[in-house]
Amino acid sequence: MSALSLHKRVEENTGLLIFGILLVSSIGGLVQILPVLNQESLQEPTANTQPYTAVELTGRDIYIREGCSVCHSQQIRPLIAEVERYGPYSRAGEFVYDRPFLWGSKRTGPDLHRVGGKFSDDWHRVHLIDPRSVVPESIMPGYPWLASRDASQAGDIVAKMRALSTLGHPYTQEQIDAAESDLEGLLEIDALIVYLQMLGTGLDEEIIR
Amino acid sequence: MSATEATKVEVARAASDPLFDSSVESYEDKVVIRLIQFSVIWAVVAMTAGVYLSAELLWPTIDFGQFWLSFGRLRPLHTNGIIFGFGVSALMATGFYSVQRTSHVRLYSPRLAWFCCYAWQLIVLLGGLSLLAGWNSTKEYAELEWPFDIAIAIVWVLFGVVFFGTIATRKIRPIYISNWFYGALIIVIAMLHIVNNLAIPVTLGKSYSLYAGAQDAVVQWWYGHNAVGFLLTGGFLGMMYYFLPKHSGRPIWSYRLSVVAFWAFTYSYIWAGPHHLHYSAIPEWVQSLAVVMSVILLAPSWATMINGIMTVSTAWEKLKTDPALKFIVLSLAFYGLATFEGPMMSFPSVNVVSHFTDWTIGHVHSGALGWNAMITYGTFYFMVPRLVGVPLYNVRLANLHFWLALAGTMLYIVSMWGAGVSQGLLWLSVDEIGELSFSFKDIMASMQPFYALRLIAGLIFLIGTCFMAFNLFKTLAGKHAVVVKVPPVDPAYAMAKEVTA
Amino acid sequence: MQRWQRVSMSNSIYSFLLFKALYAPKAAFARLAAEDPAPLRILFRYSLWLLLLPPIFSFAGAAQLGWRLGATEPLFMSSNALALISIGYFCLLFFGLVTTALISRWMADTYGANASFGRHVALITIVGEPLAVASIAHLFPDVFFNALVLIPTTIWAMYLLYTGIPLALGIPPERGMLMASSLVGWLLVAAVSLLGISMSLWTLGIGPLLGV
Repeated sequence: MSALSLHKRVEENTGLLIFGILLVSSIGGLVQILPVLNQESLQEPTANTQPYTAVELTGRDIYIREGCSVCHSQQIRPLIAEVERYGPYSRAGEFVYDRPFLWGSKRTGPDLHRVGGKFSDDWHRVHLIDPRSVVPESIMPGYPWLASRDASQAGDIVAKMRALSTLGHPYTQEQIDAAESDLEGLLEIDALIVYLQMLGTGLDEEIIR
Repeated sequence: MSATEATKVEVARAASDPLFDSSVESYEDKVVIRLIQFSVIWAVVAMTAGVYLSAELLWPTIDFGQFWLSFGRLRPLHTNGIIFGFGVSALMATGFYSVQRTSHVRLYSPRLAWFCCYAWQLIVLLGGLSLLAGWNSTKEYAELEWPFDIAIAIVWVLFGVVFFGTIATRKIRPIYISNWFYGALIIVIAMLHIVNNLAIPVTLGKSYSLYAGAQDAVVQWWYGHNAVGFLLTGGFLGMMYYFLPKHSGRPIWSYRLSVVAFWAFTYSYIWAGPHHLHYSAIPEWVQSLAVVMSVILLAPSWATMINGIMTVSTAWEKLKTDPALKFIVLSLAFYGLATFEGPMMSFPSVNVVSHFTDWTIGHVHSGALGWNAMITYGTFYFMVPRLVGVPLYNVRLANLHFWLALAGTMLYIVSMWGAGVSQGLLWLSVDEIGELSFSFKDIMASMQPFYALRLIAGLIFLIGTCFMAFNLFKTLAGKHAVVVKVPPVDPAYAMAKEVTA
Repeated sequence: MQRWQRVSMSNSIYSFLLFKALYAPKAAFARLAAEDPAPLRILFRYSLWLLLLPPIFSFAGAAQLGWRLGATEPLFMSSNALALISIGYFCLLFFGLVTTALISRWMADTYGANASFGRHVALITIVGEPLAVASIAHLFPDVFFNALVLIPTTIWAMYLLYTGIPLALGIPPERGMLMASSLVGWLLVAAVSLLGISMSLWTLGIGPLLGV
């Protein structure tokens, strides 16, 4: 049977057409995704990468909520200029607890993967409320509402950590129990700053040296 | 003959032809009209959001300290509004219109189609509001959280039921090619949507992705790239394959080419996702594979474009009376550009400069404005007068719209090429001793003129779209859908007596 | 008739095109359709002069004022490097003109247009002439200033393309519209290829220093 007459069969049969489309379109995904999902090295954390603490997790979820990924990437490429500007390039093992990943696809603002420790807490506090007061040319919007909301308003932290536990994050029961009290007295902006200060600190010592 | 006369003849023929039995069913077109109206409304709303966003990049304080005007929350509103509001509504409208006519049968379940129509609009509306409220999964073009993901999946399956149900109950034996593309749209988007959005819910507005880190990246861009591939490209190619021959009065130039192009397209597009992740922490073999397949993808894309251009090239007299055909012709040119630029940008040596820059944004909009918007506009200008049996309210305005759309698109592309290439090169620029030549904030500040040009481009495009909205709504005002009886089928193409779906 | 009179008459189409293209393009197109000049003559007596303008202006501007990319100080490069860039620029423009004219001629059959190559070379040159003249903006090599000058000029050039094709190639305006749109498609692809090839060359090390 020639290809064209085989095709006539498919184009006159709804079921064959649906099946054909499904078959042909699944191949690429199966070949690319399945091996990646099974690759254990992509699930091994680097030496200093830990599951997010209650405060860090709260801060991360605020980062997600405000859409920070829309302007900031978290993926330093192994290019000379990039490593010079931002620090050691990003390894897969630093992201094993990132649900979802926050690599971003646009740098309206700078990459933030190694921003941890580069600026003081106070600098961040002023910058987040009004970026132009520390960087006059900045086009980043301000986030004043973060300073008037309690960290606990960012979501049920215990439920979050439980959900992550079911996905395999090694939280201890003590960590989950202490989660709510960890957030006491903190504002959303504090939690976000804790998250930012932790970014990029997960690399092994030898690499940093 | 003029557009007016052509419409009148079609209407008269449908109503008075003695071959038409009054008990013969008619097409369900009211839902098509409603979906077109919603599509146009979303276009105006989402493009206004886009213009506001581009203004915020110039004057960041115009969010007035309000979370619901904040750039990070408004951006997904713009992208989702365009893709799911404008785009999907247009695809549903044109899909329902064309599947009936190519199957010679009334829509499989008009009630289900109406449900899809309104349920979908509700999802987009409430989803948009949820994005402003901060319900955000942050995975691009899949930002809506899990309650909406479930709702989308349900409505999408029902969309598929109506669409494939119509095909399965068709009276004409071959399934026309536009239906293969709409079919691929429905099937592949369902697969992508379900797999990518798998997550553990925590609260109503928050969930955690099943995948993490580098693995999540690969799954996300398998989805993200193919959402573009099968929704923004595949579905609209379905639109092209039906409406271009209808509009120009010519058959598709090459059947064989369309067969090969369809399957090659459906096969190769899926592989290209990881070209969004060059030089990232995903395995290199995945990146390399994406490059190869992205280049291969150029062939079926351009084959389809050539098919379209050759089909319309003999129909040039229609351009005298028909502003809408201009839109379709240019949309093919921009389709060619976008499907060439994509593979080119997936080369690592180019991607090194373009990744994370405004060049990517320029590329997206050359496709979104030049291909998607323009072919939809041309199709709407064609469909709406026919649906209600009157000429277009103002042909001059439609012509003006064409030039505005073209100018806006070109200015957008050029300004983003300028911004993107500048950023990319300046970020990488080092001096003789290997030190960075420019600081990030200086480079960012120098983008302002390009952003200003882009704002003007977006405004021009939005104004044109508003003209179209006015024109189409005036055409529809106070009118009802023309009743079009299903014509009898040529016995050579009729289904066999023992119906095999 | 004296010899000098015959010489100046046979040259006149070239200077006619050169000047009329700027302020009376329709007359230029009509003359083109009437006279059907030879391609090489058009290239060497008309196109070449225009092709020289952008490289010369960019060399002068970059040597005196340096490339202003918007981010702090102007970038100065050695005369040798600038000369190489200008020569490359010229070659690029030449290549672009010839290939676009060839593609235009190749498309002519599909659209029933006149296929004499000389006409296509002249047509594309007329379309590009405003850009060649406006390249005087390169004397002040600021990216944004050049964009500000060249974008409206490009719009004008597009107008010349859409009006010129039917007039110069003898086809109805609607058919010309289709052909012009196909050419625009080619030009977009050429422009983006130029971007891509430049990026590839620069990241491979042929060009300014990049830390890749």
